[in-house]
Amino acid sequence: MAAPDLFFWLCSAVLMLSSVFVVSARSLVHAVFFLILAFLNAAGLFILLGAEFLGMMMLIVYVGAVAVLFLFVVMTLDTGRPGGSLRARLPAALAAGAILLLELAFVAVAGGPGGSPEPLPGGVSNTRALGRLIYTDYAALFELAGAILLVAMIGAIVLAHRYRPGVRRQNPVRQFGRRQGESIRLEDPAVGAGVSEQGR
Amino acid sequence: MNAFLADYLPIALFFVVAGALGGAMAVAAWLVAPQRPDPEKLSAYECGFAPFDDARGRFDVRFYLVAILFIIFDLEIAFLFPWAIALGDIGLYGFGSMMVFLALLTVGFVYEWRKGALEWE
Amino acid sequence: MTVTLAHYLILGGAVFTVGIVGIVLNRRNVIMILMAIELLLLAVNLNPFSAHLGDPAGQVFTLFVLTVAAAEAAVGLAILVVFFRLRGTIAVEDIQDLKG
Repeated sequence: MAAPDLFFWLCSAVLMLSSVFVVSARSLVHAVFFLILAFLNAAGLFILLGAEFLGMMMLIVYVGAVAVLFLFVVMTLDTGRPGGSLRARLPAALAAGAILLLELAFVAVAGGPGGSPEPLPGGVSNTRALGRLIYTDYAALFELAGAILLVAMIGAIVLAHRYRPGVRRQNPVRQFGRRQGESIRLEDPAVGAGVSEQGR
Repeated sequence: MNAFLADYLPIALFFVVAGALGGAMAVAAWLVAPQRPDPEKLSAYECGFAPFDDARGRFDVRFYLVAILFIIFDLEIAFLFPWAIALGDIGLYGFGSMMVFLALLTVGFVYEWRKGALEWE
Repeated sequence: MTVTLAHYLILGGAVFTVGIVGIVLNRRNVIMILMAIELLLLAVNLNPFSAHLGDPAGQVFTLFVLTVAAAEAAVGLAILVVFFRLRGTIAVEDIQDLKG
């Protein structure tokens, strides 16, 4: 077996196992960690397919940001694991899974197009090939992505930002505008007399 | 194996060596070290006194807002990488589309600045 | 056994199935539902048609799906945090105030 195939089997096996553990983990923190493991292995698969930039995006965006966000929320809410026992809902879940698996089996039996996915040929790096497409051919989608990010940002601030009155805030303009004369006063008190006795 | 994946061989080797070394050290520590558990040894240690509360305390919600804003700007930066690499090929049109994208996100940035979402109260 | 396109598609389908099972299994826990949705989006992203067809355009779509997934996680979790602040619970059964 060639090394890339071995890598595929390794990554996909760990991906499958960790995604099963995500949905069945006892504690939410464990579920988040298994989600991170699943993302890592998906990044490995992307690199195996020659989509280097996507693999790194998986690491940066999913592992670096989304998983951390989930971890924050799990730690912030600190609710343990609500929702009662999983066993009661296992039959319904298995039924839903079985339907999808059956459809999957049909596809597998029918067989797809052969041929192994290979990294794209050509001397152009993956990131450059993507860059040539995103900003010109898919400019509309790209601007839409920007709009989605804008909406997400505004929505998150509207939802999660609490304005607390009466809080002392930093005022950079005042901070930088301060001069020495306003904040330091040099006194030369007479011997035996305190500063307060000089008519201040 | 093609040349592309051969480029990643050093990284794979690095992972294998790092994993083997870390695993070997953990196993060695477990095998070699004397293990005489004791309730006092196993309890959480907090400067000598009994721990006040669970280590898994609640985080403040303000961390969460910072994390959200980090995700958004993380994605913005991620979109900048291919743009920077391919800027020579995509011409003025690609430059313009990125400027529109950045303008959109700057609107959000100004909004969050005005709302004081970046301030640590 | 050499790895073909079908292997990747079956892997994606299997992960998708696990995500669906996770939604049904944890349908009373909003955080778990959000994590299962992330799994679903991951499974969809795994389709290797870009490498199969020799066209990098497929990776562009994956990039946009990734963006939407991150935005969805951010807003979904923000709603969750606000709901928890108001009610002190995140059980789905309690979220029915809008029901007529």
